[in-house]
Amino acid sequence: MSEVLPWLVVAPVVPLASLPILAFRFDRVGWPVAAITATVHTALATWTAWTVAVDGPTRFVVGGLPARLGIELAADALSASFLLLVSLVGLWVLAYTRRGGPRSNLSYALYLALLAGLSGLCITRDVFNLYVFLEISGLAGYALVALGDGRDAAPAALRYLLVGTVGASLYLLGIGYLYVATGTLNMSAMAAELVAVGHDGRLVVAAFAFVTVGLGVKMALFPVHTWKPDAYRAAPAGIAALLAALVSTVAGYAFLRLLLSVFTATLFGVNPLLGASLRAAAVLSVGAGAVLAVRQRDVRRMLAYSSVSQFGVAVAGFALATPLGLAGGVVHLLGHAVMKSGAFAAVGVVEAATGARTVDEFAGLATDVPVTSGALAALSFGLVGIPPLVGFFGKWYIVLSAVRSGAWIVAAAVLASTLLSLSYFGRLVQRLYLESGSRPADTRYGAVSAGMVATAVVAALVALGLGLASAELVELLRPSLSGVGP
Amino acid sequence: MSDQRGTDGVRSGSGDTRPPDSPVITEPVRLLVPLVLTFGLYTAFHGTSSVGGGFQGGVVVAAGLILLAFAFGVTKTRDWLDRPAMVALATAGVIAIVAVAAGPLAFGGTFFDLSAYPFPKAVVYGIELVELGIATTVAATVLLLFLELAGGDDA
Repeated sequence: MSEVLPWLVVAPVVPLASLPILAFRFDRVGWPVAAITATVHTALATWTAWTVAVDGPTRFVVGGLPARLGIELAADALSASFLLLVSLVGLWVLAYTRRGGPRSNLSYALYLALLAGLSGLCITRDVFNLYVFLEISGLAGYALVALGDGRDAAPAALRYLLVGTVGASLYLLGIGYLYVATGTLNMSAMAAELVAVGHDGRLVVAAFAFVTVGLGVKMALFPVHTWKPDAYRAAPAGIAALLAALVSTVAGYAFLRLLLSVFTATLFGVNPLLGASLRAAAVLSVGAGAVLAVRQRDVRRMLAYSSVSQFGVAVAGFALATPLGLAGGVVHLLGHAVMKSGAFAAVGVVEAATGARTVDEFAGLATDVPVTSGALAALSFGLVGIPPLVGFFGKWYIVLSAVRSGAWIVAAAVLASTLLSLSYFGRLVQRLYLESGSRPADTRYGAVSAGMVATAVVAALVALGLGLASAELVELLRPSLSGVGP
Repeated sequence: MSDQRGTDGVRSGSGDTRPPDSPVITEPVRLLVPLVLTFGLYTAFHGTSSVGGGFQGGVVVAAGLILLAFAFGVTKTRDWLDRPAMVALATAGVIAIVAVAAGPLAFGGTFFDLSAYPFPKAVVYGIELVELGIATTVAATVLLLFLELAGGDDA
């Protein structure tokens, strides 16, 4: 069964390489190729997740080499759930882009590169290989942002490129230090060597700092979040729905993977200051993101700043380093990804149907786009953290774990950010439903397809389903969150 | 992008009026390019045992052809290098790598387990094929990027 693992990366690469050839003959071949690939990829990811759920973790070393030398790929419940997230979001975003665009062959080639890179990130157990996939998905992301048709797309993409590359380089520097300290790149071998080397060495602490800042840039934690609002505002709406759901989320997964499988809980045990610093950084991000989100007028920028806050919440969960905190962080990452993808799709539908982009322009639009508004309102409440949507449960586990371990500041910050998010999402929902717009009735914009609306609705339903099944999800994740992974 | 190609087409259609460079430049380039290409291939194959490999080899091959463009003009080089063929080569490199990697499955091995191929020194030849695939893709992509960015202006 482990034979499937390399194909999760290879399956998008072959159509990616074939697209330039097909593009000579066919004008609009990108979407069908991407749709077939995404379907196959979802089947492979589902199969992997199913096997992991039934038979337990699975691993594969490319080339039949010993794991220490070769590239190890592995899937446990944690990797499999993020893998499934990548596949499913990739699939439903295609329902949006069919009509909502971008529709060029180039954009679907980039989409496939992103899919390959993110899948690789989910399953690799080699820290350098992880860097390669981080760069593949990053490069695809920068170029996808540049596809936006506003004049701010190119500067936003350039900024994303510069900041993102610095982040990836810091990560590379960190794993360079780890390689010097341990002499291996394989995660489990590294964890074993670290026990011998000791977790309090300067190299190890510096490596952790570099890796955290590097992946923090990719997750867009405050104050290295500056690429995110511009990138998500300038990108085509369908692409924003894809990137907002996946890129930072999978970086968050990568951070947790390194925490679990390389540094292990011993790191925070030996260096209490590191855990405290990480908690402080997360709390700062939670607060700053929420405050900045309240100040935004542009809806997409508001959603982006809300992500800064939400990733802070997830990292705070990881920094608690308790089983409940870790599980809460994972549930929060997964749930946030699903809901943000739907929210960006819904905002994209509103933009396409009415041209509204700011919170004020959303006034009274619920009558123009009733289904989308309903989905957007539901997703907004989910992002605030109102049960039974999944947004509640992640935060609940984190707050519970923070209170149990006496981290009152973390608990207070998460609760305060919830109140702030109620104020900015509440404002949006109130404008949609309770105020009448001043928009001239005769303005008609581009058509909106059923697929575009369906993307937002499906995301809202999945968020509801995940919320109802969150206890089962945590139960499935529990084995993969304790100590060193397979 | 397509607009730019359009104007290039107009330029090359109206005739490449640029006079050829002096023989002091063109003759050494004529002599050098075959050597550069051979060295590129050598570098690519050398990756199995020592420093070198497909990336470096591919860049050397592309650099040799870019040297031609400097000496004889970008427009002439672009007319001579078939764009669809270059794209096909870039694709073929990737497909070749995947084929070599997936091949062992047919002989009862696992993905990329090159020792499963039923012929002698399969791992060495397999890796060299992979290096060749990388070199092909890299060389074709570098050239495509160069020709895309260089425009048609030989001034």
